[in-house]
Amino acid sequence: MAYRHIGQETPRPDSADKAAGQAVYIHDFERPQMLHGKIKFAEQAHARIVDIDTSKAERLPGVKAVITAQNTPEVRIGFMRDNFALKRDKVRQFRDEVAAVAAIDPDIAAEAVELIEVTYEPLPGVFTPKEALAEEAPLIHETDPRGQPRENNRLDLRYHHESGDPHLGRQAAKYSVEGTFSTPLIQQSCMGTAGCVAEFDRNHHLTIWAKTQIPFLAQRDFIQMLGAIGLKERNCRVIVPALGGAFGTGLDTHAYEYISILLAWRTGRPVKVLYDREQEFSYLSPRQSSEVKIAQGCDENGKLTFRWVDVLMDNGAYTSWGATYPTVMMLPATSLYRVPNVYFDAKLVYTNNTYCQAMRGYGNPELNWALESNLDELAEVAGIDPLEMRRINCNRAGEITPMGLQVTTCGLRDCLESVSEKIEWTAKRRQGKRRGVGLASLFHVGGGGRIYRSDGSGLILKLDDFGNVNVYYGGVEMGQGLHSALSLGVAEALGVKPDKVFVNPTDTGTCPWDVGTHASRGAFMACNAAIKAAADLRRQIFTHAKSLFPKIVAKNLKRYQKKHPHYTAPDVDVAALVDRSTFEMRDGVVRLADAPDEPWLSVSLDTLLRGIHFRSQGEMLLSHVFYDPPNELPDFEKGRGNMSATYAYGVQGAEVEVDVETGEVTILRLVASHDVGRVLNPQTLKGQMYGALAQGVGYALYEEVCTAEGRILNPNFADYKIPTIAEMDFPIELDFIETDDDRGPFGAKGVGEPGLVPTAPAIANAVYNAVGVRIRDLPITPQKVLAALKRKG
Amino acid sequence: MTPEAYYKPRTLEEAFALKADHPEAFFIAGGTDLMVLMRAGICRPSALISLRHIEPLHQLTVGATTHIGAMTRVAELLEHPEIEERYPLLTAAARRLGSPQVRSVATVGGNLANASPCADTAVALLALGARIRLASPDGEREIPLDQFFVGPKTTCLFSQELVTEIILDEDARGTHGVFIKKGRVKMDIAQASLALWARVKDGQCEQIRLAAGSVGPVPLRLPEVERVLLNHPLDDDRISQASTAAEQTVQPITDIRATADYRRQLIGVFVRRALRQICTESR
Amino acid sequence: MTQIVSFVLNGAPVQVPADPHQRLIDLLRGPLHQTGTKEGCGQGECGACTVIIDGRPVNACLYPAPEADGTTITTIEGLGGDNTELSTIQRAFVECGGIQCGYCTPGMILSTKALLDRRPDPTEAEIRQGLAGNLCRCTGYVQIIESVKWAAERLRDKS
Repeated sequence: MAYRHIGQETPRPDSADKAAGQAVYIHDFERPQMLHGKIKFAEQAHARIVDIDTSKAERLPGVKAVITAQNTPEVRIGFMRDNFALKRDKVRQFRDEVAAVAAIDPDIAAEAVELIEVTYEPLPGVFTPKEALAEEAPLIHETDPRGQPRENNRLDLRYHHESGDPHLGRQAAKYSVEGTFSTPLIQQSCMGTAGCVAEFDRNHHLTIWAKTQIPFLAQRDFIQMLGAIGLKERNCRVIVPALGGAFGTGLDTHAYEYISILLAWRTGRPVKVLYDREQEFSYLSPRQSSEVKIAQGCDENGKLTFRWVDVLMDNGAYTSWGATYPTVMMLPATSLYRVPNVYFDAKLVYTNNTYCQAMRGYGNPELNWALESNLDELAEVAGIDPLEMRRINCNRAGEITPMGLQVTTCGLRDCLESVSEKIEWTAKRRQGKRRGVGLASLFHVGGGGRIYRSDGSGLILKLDDFGNVNVYYGGVEMGQGLHSALSLGVAEALGVKPDKVFVNPTDTGTCPWDVGTHASRGAFMACNAAIKAAADLRRQIFTHAKSLFPKIVAKNLKRYQKKHPHYTAPDVDVAALVDRSTFEMRDGVVRLADAPDEPWLSVSLDTLLRGIHFRSQGEMLLSHVFYDPPNELPDFEKGRGNMSATYAYGVQGAEVEVDVETGEVTILRLVASHDVGRVLNPQTLKGQMYGALAQGVGYALYEEVCTAEGRILNPNFADYKIPTIAEMDFPIELDFIETDDDRGPFGAKGVGEPGLVPTAPAIANAVYNAVGVRIRDLPITPQKVLAALKRKG
Repeated sequence: MTPEAYYKPRTLEEAFALKADHPEAFFIAGGTDLMVLMRAGICRPSALISLRHIEPLHQLTVGATTHIGAMTRVAELLEHPEIEERYPLLTAAARRLGSPQVRSVATVGGNLANASPCADTAVALLALGARIRLASPDGEREIPLDQFFVGPKTTCLFSQELVTEIILDEDARGTHGVFIKKGRVKMDIAQASLALWARVKDGQCEQIRLAAGSVGPVPLRLPEVERVLLNHPLDDDRISQASTAAEQTVQPITDIRATADYRRQLIGVFVRRALRQICTESR
Repeated sequence: MTQIVSFVLNGAPVQVPADPHQRLIDLLRGPLHQTGTKEGCGQGECGACTVIIDGRPVNACLYPAPEADGTTITTIEGLGGDNTELSTIQRAFVECGGIQCGYCTPGMILSTKALLDRRPDPTEAEIRQGLAGNLCRCTGYVQIIESVKWAAERLRDKS
């Protein structure tokens, strides 16, 4: 199908303000009378709080409030309710919040925090899942949120899947390989650090400007908190400013947000809490680390007979969404390639390390690292080329995977062939000279991801007198290009020009409900909702056109004839034509399908809208829809359920060179072929992919949050390295496979996350091809490569 | 404590007088390190005495003897055509120092006085056999650069003393210079760095100096390695001996950026590579 | 001891009090209300706060505020023409998709300007060197390189 705007390289609507430095981020934002909040962190991994002395801080001029768990109501946070905004009896991780200050400027607040004296009684800490699972291990949480005593440090979350007969599958395998693969803590590294401003109005309603990806779930969390502090039935309005990146950091509400609310309530003034870079690294939750034990086996023809996956995750001291990575790990574990017999189990353990949250990919990069590395090992043992191995077991459209995922369209095979061709697989596999190529595939949700009961998105389109289309959508633009997708999608579906579409700031007070911008669902949901709303609006517009159109074109004709005295109008019975023909709208101009192409025989949308508004008993045109995709909330304890309406596939190939004296891995080029369903805007899609690849490169080669006894050792960009423009100095070739999925808007699938999922195993597989060493713990640092080379001899 | 005053003296005398009045004050050159340390609360000077406005510290003259004013910014050094022509080793190292933004303000003197074991220009200047001139209210003195560094972040500077210039006595044209640095990424503090300068005749090093960064408490000269190489044919065996000597000489530590063992191995590799490069160049 | 510093900001003379411990970025974002200059790390590692001082790119978070006295400073607010026109470099970033979340963008654009002012026809290697001090987490830099090339080409055509 030919589209007018979809598929066109189009600059983003939000970029001009950003280029001018005019976009307002939370850092740039002020309210009258605003105070600045700062937090006192524990800097103890596990200790009993004996005493908190805030007297000196309180006496400091300029300080307006000092709060602790002693002088504020208890505020429980996190979906397991195992965390507190301020800690009362003990601290369980280095970054625990024990007190907070609001002052007239940030420096005074910081000085006051220094003056708070906390006396601790240190407790023994546990810093690995193994230590935490030991019989005599100290308990991180003595009781569960209901007050029942806990017996061990295991989390009460179960993620399990079994299909076919994994034991039998293992026995049936002619070849099998087992290995354990680990991934480190990763910092999302948003360029704009975290922060918020909380403010109460005189009716005790709360407004919070928050760096969030879940405005409506955040609203629910905050309203719940208001109840806990004695403000039942009060509203919370969440407004999202320009976000300096999010990458998953905005998927949960954070202690600092609750603290800013407590401070605002205590002082009666707006309070901003803003993290600096060091705090962002030290006190914000990173990507969850993981350890994945995997075994896969195949028959003599390379057909997979089983896959066995045991995941062990260090949950840290509290529970956020990091603990739910297995819900996504399950997808590739059960469904990437055709495997008849699958075992998947994940355990999570409390430790005194930092607790973790979401990051782009959400468990998939962690599982994929193990799966795709291990598959190359299996291919080698079976004597099959790794590409051929993947062809043999390739997924197909129409299949239902062991988890019950319905594959509507599948571009995996095309992606494999594309990468094979572009990376020159056959030639480059045997090139020697310490160079090699490797590839890895991915499987991810591409049509929303139902992890709550609703996977829905509301959307409102409102037309004004000038043919402008105002869009109200509860999802969040965080740099990924949501507003670009929305403006193109609305323009396409409605029949107006994209520059007449205005996407309004996300605000729970004006936008309809949305579950959140996660799971690569932004463009998929927003555009599906837009298509639905646009169809409704067109129906309304055309209904009104039936009565208004003949009068307006009659006037048009008069005006036209005045200007062009020699013009003879064809004999058209407009009223009859209206009855028999259908209306259509293109670029904001309404005409009749069967009408002759006359300059006066059409009505611009704005003229029509004024006609609808400015009359007795007029109307205004607006459409609101709620789109909830055709997918299911899986039963994660059984590992069954079609989580997404459609699924994304992709393959990445890497060519590397290894310096065998220093262990350094140099990427010579990357190829990424992705099944994207349909390209909505090539410019933003490429941007998403290039950006994800860079994150994948950092994840593969050097990114790692280092800790010692729970303390973060590299809380800055001097010591936590992300790729610079100098690192990304190699050709990247992208190829988008358009499978045109019926469930996708204009055929498109979600693609926000896939770009970084297979990058690390593709690179690791290339390293193996180049020099014959296999690194199983990310990142693939030169030191590890060199040590492995020495071991190999 | 935050600094109570920011002084901008125009002469050295003025700067010394201010320092005498404010013993807890710090001199500030480009400030690219000090600004970070102050903000982190690691340095708490009572006042800052800027060296930016002292004209003589900015002088840069290239000739039979080259004088580089301590306040010469790294970017200025890089842009100076004669420095590039005569001391490519120095510009190679300076190019690897920080980002363009840092090089715009960081100074050559500051990079030395900071006495970081990883200082890129220090390593190159050690290999070039630089001397430095120091000034204090009591007068001036000149010392070889390798006597300047005393320990991690410490120099032999007296409390009121300043680096005023760096002096290079020989024109390095017709000689060989190699700078090798490796970080975790391209723009990084060195995991290890090596500078080698040599005058080669008939396949032998008549003169040679090696210096290494991030493999000891200070930027190190490697005299043991120099002894292995001086006046010997540069054959594979000799290169291998030198590489081993380098690995044995250095005293790296393990930190977040690299293990001691890895740094040691890197230095061995760098020595081999640098020597092979001069072999190729001198052939 | 607060002192008044005077400098030329985006073509206009300004006078503003500066404390000894303050950084240039504190003046810009504080009393001067030029919040286009972003603070990304406060340690000179990310380049989000890049401004141009006397023709050179500088991290405003490492630059002592008292040293602003007597300088000429360009920030992102000084790049466009009058009204709301974007400059060629800004337009390049918009046209080529060099912007995602936009937080690194002002610094990235000023580093580009500093580069192109000195080297109107940079090689790709020079572009990478020139922007090596500016971190971006969103774009992977490919479209940023394209933006710089686009801008360089148009600026050359103009002159």
